[in-house]
This record gives sequence, structure tokens and C-alpha cells, in this order.
Amino acid sequence: MLTVENLTISFRTDEGRVTPVQDVGFSLAEGRTLGIVGESGSGKSVSTKALMRLLPGNAEIGAQARMRYTAKSGEEIAIEALKPNARALRHLRGGEIGMIFQEPMASFSPVYTIGNQIMETIRLHRGLKGQAARDLAVEMLTKVGISNPDARVDQYPHELSGGMRQRAMIALALSAGPRLLIADEPTTALDVTIQAQVLDLMRDLQRDLAMGMIFITHDLGVIAHIADDVAVMYLGTIVETGTAREVLKSPAHPYTRGLIKAIPRADRLDARLEAVPGDIPSPSARPSGCPFHPRCAEAIAGLCDRATPPEVTLGVGRRVRCHLHETRAVA
Amino acid sequence: MIPDNSPLLEIRDLEVSFDLGKRGFFSGTRKQLKAVDGVSFDIRRGETVGLVGESGSGKTTVGRAILRVIAPSGGQVLLHGEGAPLDLVPLGRKALRPLRPRMSLVFQDPYSSLNPRMTVRDIIAEPLVVGGQLRDRDAIDARVREIAARCKLDLEHLRRFPHAFSGGQRQRICIARALVARPDFVVCDESVSALDVSIQAEIINLLRDLQEETGTSFLFIAHDLNVVARISHRVAVIYVGRFAEYAPTESLFFHPRHPYTHALLSAVPEPDPDLPFTPERLVGEIPNPADAPPGCRFHTRCPFAQKRCKTDVPVWRELASDHFVACHYAEEFDFRRSREPAGTTPAKEREIP
Repeated sequence: MLTVENLTISFRTDEGRVTPVQDVGFSLAEGRTLGIVGESGSGKSVSTKALMRLLPGNAEIGAQARMRYTAKSGEEIAIEALKPNARALRHLRGGEIGMIFQEPMASFSPVYTIGNQIMETIRLHRGLKGQAARDLAVEMLTKVGISNPDARVDQYPHELSGGMRQRAMIALALSAGPRLLIADEPTTALDVTIQAQVLDLMRDLQRDLAMGMIFITHDLGVIAHIADDVAVMYLGTIVETGTAREVLKSPAHPYTRGLIKAIPRADRLDARLEAVPGDIPSPSARPSGCPFHPRCAEAIAGLCDRATPPEVTLGVGRRVRCHLHETRAVA
Repeated sequence: MIPDNSPLLEIRDLEVSFDLGKRGFFSGTRKQLKAVDGVSFDIRRGETVGLVGESGSGKTTVGRAILRVIAPSGGQVLLHGEGAPLDLVPLGRKALRPLRPRMSLVFQDPYSSLNPRMTVRDIIAEPLVVGGQLRDRDAIDARVREIAARCKLDLEHLRRFPHAFSGGQRQRICIARALVARPDFVVCDESVSALDVSIQAEIINLLRDLQEETGTSFLFIAHDLNVVARISHRVAVIYVGRFAEYAPTESLFFHPRHPYTHALLSAVPEPDPDLPFTPERLVGEIPNPADAPPGCRFHTRCPFAQKRCKTDVPVWRELASDHFVACHYAEEFDFRRSREPAGTTPAKEREIP
């Protein structure tokens, strides 16, 4: 239902052009969840904002980029070609693709009630008014597990706790009936017990509504339990894709391997953690060749620091960008 | 350094209240929020104690009250040293001043906790200058260089300003500053939470190494249980201002006795799709400490709550050697966790009768 190819995004800044996303491609099938994992500066949020055309004015999407989305009506939309003020774009935002952000307090307006904001969405995308819109808003709040929805619908965002706000945010996104939901670190600001509740909820809703979902997070633990497929990003490129099991159980890229080893787990208390050496470079000082080579223990001198690694296909939907696999494939 | 059993700090019935302001002008009754309500534990020399809890549980307040950044409203904080232990609670600003070099703090956000107008050298040297431990500039420089090298900072970085550094490097600067005056005790408040996983691992290793070298005691406050497990000798779990459980790390993680500890541990998703993710279903959210439930504070969310839990406050008791818990029914629960892949059985089980 969604295919992204050759997506490159750059920003014009005072210090010159910065390219936080380089040649990214992924696809999503109906009813599946794609998890995008990456650390700060990996470009995971920026690339999904491009799907909604929500990038700031100084951003440029590369001319080669193709973003194809199949709408509810079956019509294929070329997202990159939409005019910024097109009616189709307004319908796409919310109506076709819903989005949830990390900080629900920042995404709700503080001066309108929760119900008011949900009803606005319903009015725009579902064409319902008055009592019918209100009934649907209450129904959505019930669906996301908010107790006493008849009273909550008239409350302001600050009157709800963090977990409740995130549930209300999900209700807001779903009230427009999207076919694809983009969730950008939706549980990062929540406590673990609340995170477990929200993850449960999102998994159930996604299954019931047969939505496609893109779930962005830095937490591989969350990925393991919500995603069907995973794309690992590092400094603006996707270094590895595959099913969640393949990527987490047998990671192919040295970065993914390092990341998995660096996660503290409670089962081996005495052992030292294996850190990935060095720091994440800033996107404005992207290393040449493979972006991971300065931190990679297996880097091949003269190759990894010069040539951008090609994408090597290891299986169906299983791809990795690393010179090590290229040489192995040849040998 | 292996922690010996002599306590460095003994915390007895620590209470911290915040005024919420008068309700009405003439009513005179002040509403109070008890952020910390009767917490007792001790921290040994050379030991790292982890303190975990959800937001609003009072974990940061405990750390600050021990450091006397804020004034406790009751209880004792006994600091052991030469001679008789000294209670920090009644001391005023001036009396605390000579004790300040013995205690230190590392914050969560390495971006806001470094003065952008000071060089890294001056930032790290500041505790020495303020504390008056070293007065000679060369001696200060030598000590700054020594601690910077230990914290894996390049010596040429000392002349630069903080903006030139990444998050991980900044946190190393904060750690160097905290340790430069050779304190007995350091509070790390969510000190690795803001860092990326690949960077976080390095800082955890660094803190472990520094602690083994220097024998400094740490109170490591965090919401991430797995991070706490990797760094602490003992771990305390706090819920709405009261401790739920305090035990050696392995007992706490593999044989928790409090339903809340169990629920917290089960809610952490592991990065392995084959491990079952079956979080204990907790209803609702953490209560507001200004309106804390009576009896056991966890009873509103506890799946095992009985009638008694709603009225009687559970006693803080030593269930097994060194394993403290506040739950009426702790003996009846068996939350043993064995999610063990490689034959490492949950250790220290024998300690629990």
C-alpha cells in the first residue's frame, strides 16, 4: 500500500546543506507493521514526515524520490508530486494517513477540549456534525480504553495524565479512519507499565482495523513486540531490513549487531556491556563511504571509508547495506 | 572495590513535604504533598544502590533530600565518617558547606547542566575551587587532567567549550566534575536516560569502572530497570513516596516479592521476539501523591489486593537476609522469573528461605 524509493531529504541551513536522509526506500503491505529503529540523528522522523509532506520550508526532497500510496479508493497517489495546498494533500493528512507523536501535550491544543479537537477531525474527514460527531468522539475514546468517556470528552488536555493523553491522541488519529498510521516514538515518554498498556492497545487496534502501521522507535524491545518488519537506520540510510525475527535474531549489519549487544538486559548481570565505540557523527559531518565505518570493528580499510556500500539482497525483503556481505556474495 | 559492610549513609524514616499553598485566605489549613513518606535504607561504602520508580514516585526527591539540596521535613540522614555519624537533616547551609565536597550529583540532561560560557577545564575544576580543597593552580590542573583522563576525555578538549561536544562526551564531563573532589557519595539522577543506546552502554561501563577504582558510593536513580540492574549492587523500588522493596540486585530481579516490582519487571519488553511479552495488567495509573490512597499505596492497581490492603499500611520488614519488602502478603507470592537462555540459573536463590 505504500512504497518509498530513493528518498533523499536535505535542508538548507546557514552552515550549508545538510542531508539527514539519503536514498531511503521501504515498503509497507496492508495490515502490517513496519518498525523503523534508529538512534538520534538517524533521520527516522524526518523521512516519515516527508510522507505527510510536513517538512519545514527549508527542506528539499530529492528529484529522484518516489512515494506511492494506494488510497482507500484504490487510487494510487504520488505523494511527492502533490501541491502543498492541494485538497488531495489535506485529505491525505489525517484522512488516509494518521500520525501520533511522542509528546501528546505538544500535539493537542491546550485551549480546546479533547472532544472539540476530535470532533473537528471527524467533521473534516467524516463529514459528521453535531451530536453524531460527538457520539463518534465518545465511541473513539471508549475504544482506546479511556474510562468515563462521556466526561472525558469535555476535558482539556492538561486535565488528563500522560498515558490518558496518549490514548486520546490515538483516538484523535483514528477518528478520521486512516488506512495507515504513523506512530513516532508514541511510548517513549511513558512509564513502562503505561507503555505496556499503550502497546497492547495499538496492537489490538491495528489488528481490528486492519491498518498499516509505521512505528518509529529507538527501543529494540518495543520493536520486538509490535513490528512485523524492521528497518534499521543509521545516519540517514537504512542499513538493514527484514522481518523483526530475522533482524533481531540474526542481525546482518555490524551496526545492528552492536546495537543489540549494547542494550542492557537483566539476565546477565555481571558481564560488562559491549558498547559501540565512538560517537554518532552529526549529520552535517557525515563520514565518507559507509557512514558507520569510523565505529565499525570490521571495517575494511580503503573500501568502507571510500565507497558507499551497495544494497545486498539476502532473501525476500531481507536487505543489508554493507561491504562485508557484498564480498561474501562474490566469494 | 568490593563493597564492605560498613554503612556510609543510613537513611531513617525520611520524609519530604511540599506546601501546595493555602486553600483559602482565612482557612489557615495548608495542603501538603508528601513526596517522600517514611523511607529507610542504607548505602554501604563502595556500593551502588539503584533506585527505580515511575514518574511522580519521588525518586528524585529522595536523592535531593539525602544530598540536602532540599530540606527533609522529618527523619534522619546519618553520614558516617571519622567519629560519630552525623545527621544531615538538622544542619543549615553553613554547617553543610564543609561536607559538600564529600557529596556530588550527576544530572540527566548533559546539555543544560554545563555552563556554555566556561571551558571544560573550568567546569571540571569548579568543585575544587569552590570547596577550597586545592588552592594552587598547578595542583588543580594536575587533578583535572587526572580525572579527565580517567573519564576518557582528550586533554586537548579541556580548553574547549561544552557546545563542541556530543551528548556522551558531555556526560563524561559531568561525571569528571562530580568525581574531581573525590567525594564519598554521588547521586546519579537519570544520568544515562537521555543518551542513545550505543552511547549509554559506554557510560554505564565507565561508571562501573570508576566506582570500582575509587570506592565511591553511588545512588543511581533511573526509570529503566535493565540499566539499573547492570550497575547496582542493591536496588530499591519506590512507589508514590514509599519503598515497595529493597534487595540485592539478583534477588530483586529474579525473585521479586512485591507485586509492584513484579509488574514493573514484566512490563519491560525484551529485544527478542521469541520471549513472551506478558506484562502484568495493572489497572489505571500511578496515583497523585497529593491524594495518595490509604493503606498500601499500590492497592488501587494491585491485581492481588485484599480488603486489608485498603486500610492497613504494610510494615517495612526484612523478609529474608537483606531483602526488605512492604507487602502484607509477600510470603504468598512466587514471582520467580526464569527467562534464562544460557544455563545461568537465577542466582542467589538459596538466600531466600
